[in-house]
This record gives sequence, C-alpha cells and structure tokens, in this order.
Amino acid sequence: MKQLFRIVGGVIAACLSASLPAQQVELPLRPGSVRFLVLGDGGTGDTPQYEVAQQIVRYRQRFPFTFAIMLGDNIYGRERPQDFEKKFIRPYKQLLDANVEFHAALGNHDDPNQRYFKPYNLGGARYRTFKKGNVRFFVLDSNYLDPLQVKWLEKELAASGSDWKIAYFHHPLYTTARRGPEVELRAILEPLFVKHGVDVVFAGHEHVYERLKPQKGIYHFTVGGAAKLRHGDTRKGPLTDATFDRDRSFLLAEIADDALYYQAISRSGNVVDKGVITRRGTGQRTP
Amino acid sequence: MSLKEHLRLLTFVGLVAVLASATACEEPKRADPRDAVLADFAKRVDAYAALRNRLADSVGELDPTGSQAEIATRATSLAQAITAERNAAKPGDIFTPEVATILALLIKEEYSRRSDPVQETREDQQEELPDFVPRVNQIYPTTYPLATFPPALLPLLPSLPENVEYRIAQNYLILRDIEANLIVDFMPNAVPSGA
Repeated sequence: MKQLFRIVGGVIAACLSASLPAQQVELPLRPGSVRFLVLGDGGTGDTPQYEVAQQIVRYRQRFPFTFAIMLGDNIYGRERPQDFEKKFIRPYKQLLDANVEFHAALGNHDDPNQRYFKPYNLGGARYRTFKKGNVRFFVLDSNYLDPLQVKWLEKELAASGSDWKIAYFHHPLYTTARRGPEVELRAILEPLFVKHGVDVVFAGHEHVYERLKPQKGIYHFTVGGAAKLRHGDTRKGPLTDATFDRDRSFLLAEIADDALYYQAISRSGNVVDKGVITRRGTGQRTP
Repeated sequence: MSLKEHLRLLTFVGLVAVLASATACEEPKRADPRDAVLADFAKRVDAYAALRNRLADSVGELDPTGSQAEIATRATSLAQAITAERNAAKPGDIFTPEVATILALLIKEEYSRRSDPVQETREDQQEELPDFVPRVNQIYPTTYPLATFPPALLPLLPSLPENVEYRIAQNYLILRDIEANLIVDFMPNAVPSGA
C-alpha cells in the first residue's frame, strides 16, 4: 500500500513540475557580485505565501543569493510565537536552513518589537544601515519618520562612501496603485536621497509589483506581493515602466560593479519583468 | 591727537551710544504662556519614562533573540509592571487639558495645510483602524496595524523620550509605550473631524 502511495505521489509530483515553468534565471551570476532577494508584505501565513516561498527556493537553486531584504508587513495580525512560526519560520525554512540572512524593514502591520527578533537583523533598532560588497543599504522605518531618524539618515548618507546606495522601507514614495504614494514621506526623504546620490528605492505596502521610471534620477520599485495581492490595482501611466498585478511576486537582484540586474518573478515562476540599471554618474540611467 | 584719531574716537563713541540706546529701548522678552504648559507636559512624560525605565530594568534588558516567546513574554511582563504601578492612571494625566488645547491647535493648523493627496493618504490610513477606542493601560490591539504617523506633523509636536511615541487612531492622539505596547494616555478629538 505504502509503495502504491509512493508511486502515485511521484506521478503527481512529476506532473506538477512538468506544468511549472522552468526557473529562467537571466541574471549574469558574475563572480563576486552582490545577489539578493527582495520581498514585501509576505507575513500572512496563508497558502500563497508558502507557494511564493517554494518558488523562491526553486529559483535559489539557480541563483544562489545569500540574503533577502524584507519590505515590511513581515507578520500580519497577531504576533504570538506560533504566528512567527507560521508566517516566517515555516515558509522560509529552507532559506533559513541554508543560512540566507533576512534584513527586515518594519511595516504598518509590524510590532516595532520585531526589531529584537534576531532573524530580522535589525539589531534592536527601528532603522539601520548595512553594507554588502559595494552596496550600502539604508533600512528605514517609514511608519514613524521622526526628526531623530531623519537626522540619522542624513548623517549616514553623508558618511557613506559606497558605490551603490539603496534605501528600502515599507511605504512607496511613488506608485500608481490604489492607495497612492506617500507624498509626505517623499517631501522629506527625496531631497536627502537626491542630495546624497541614492540609486534605488525598494518599497512594499501596495500588494503588486511595479517598476517606475526614474524620478529625479532614482529608480523606484514596489515589491509588495509576496503573499497578498491587489488584483488589477496598478494604473498604467507616465510614471510606469512595468507592472504586474495578476498574481503574487518577488524580485531577484544582482549588483556587479556599476550594474544592477533585476528579475521579477510570479508565484507560478514566470518572469514578469527584467532588466538592468546603472549606477549614478556612470552615464545613461534608463534601462 | 590727529584728525584721523579724532574721527576714530568719535565713531567709537557714536557706536557705543547707538548700542546703549538700542539696548535701553528693547522691550523685556514676554514669556510665552505655552512654554509653561509644554514644560509641564515634558515633566509628566519624563516622569513616565523614568518609571517605565526603572520597571524595564527590573524586568530585564532585552537583547535581540531568536525566540519570539522571549520577546512577547518580556513585553507582557513590562506592560503588567507598568499597569500595576499606574493602576490609578486616567486619561489626561499626561495630556492635561492645557497641553491638549495646544496640541489640538498644532494638529489642526498642520492638517489645514495639507494638500489633497496628503489628505487622501491620511484618510486611507485611518480606514485601517475601525472602531478603535483607546483606554489608558490598554494593550494596543495587536490585530490592528499601527497607522503611519504623519511625518510632517511629528517635528511640530513636543519630542518624546526613547520608547514612548505618538500614534493617531481615528481622531485620538495616543501616547504609546513601544516596548510594552501599552497605551499610556490619549487625547480625544485631537484630529479635526472630517479631516
């Protein structure tokens, strides 16, 4: 009987994998490059989160990134120990077991005490900066942008001598999705980003994928569909370069010297956007 | 004394005279009546911070940990300790009527300066908090999101010590202990209705 179950199980698995698209990695995989995963709004604990996580694991076999940046709403609803199990540990177990580091930003659904949760690498702070290769990341708490945080950001940006500067936080400064951009945050952050040469901004909050045309020289990505989806929520317009709002999604990124290669992938494994952008001061900035 | 030296002396004397008369004419600086109220607010907030810091020390410092149970237990213990010490606390203990008047005016002025897109965004954020009526010593409901605090408003409000923050829910301004996830005080009608 057991044997029969095994055979049937094997047949089902084979059929499923045959119906899935092959993981098409179109990133250069250059030696010494900085490779990472971008995912936002993932902490529901529902089936779509697990399915996205499985797709990420499949892609990681071909694109071995070493860390992930999380754009907030890491845990929806209650934050009991069992919720962390269901909404973070279990779905991403294979990544955690492979020592993939998670670097989280806080979303509006996140208790700020998540800063003490070691796997999120916030080190007890609501905002922080870290460096990987030639990239400096600035993790902000866009839920509570107090003057202290702004002052800290300006100091850190000014002190950063890195080639690439990437800021990430929960609320998008530009988006075409229903809830719209955070224009108040933009009024405070954008001048600092422009002044200090931030290259790319990643945000979540809107449960879609979006890549916008560079705004004041800065590329903006919304990657907020790692579990929830606002179907058909984006509006094509002058801001838009690419959108995907028909299913859940995540983004893979690779930075090699002056180029950032990206590939957005749907829950079913299809590549929904891809391209390359270049660092500030190296000529053309459009893909 | 040469003519040049005479002229220098005269210029110097003239300058001294002008400065002296300017100082004499200067009106004594009037004290802003709001300063005393805001100083009193700061004192009350600091007293709360001292209390919660003492209790936080007794509960034990929290270092980053892989155990969410440890984080949750610590938050609960801290909240219980604070609540026990402040069991007689009531609305308005920190947001006194005097400071509430000042803060409500600051918020009203700031809200009146909003552009339409900002207003829409803030209204959307408030929609995330249905039927939430705060109470002093209440655990901030964990099933609700923490609505994003208007970043343009924060610099206008009195600064707070570490681990205490402002939050807005519906039309309440809330003073929240971050680590204990506890509502320390709240101010009704802080946000203009229809805003």
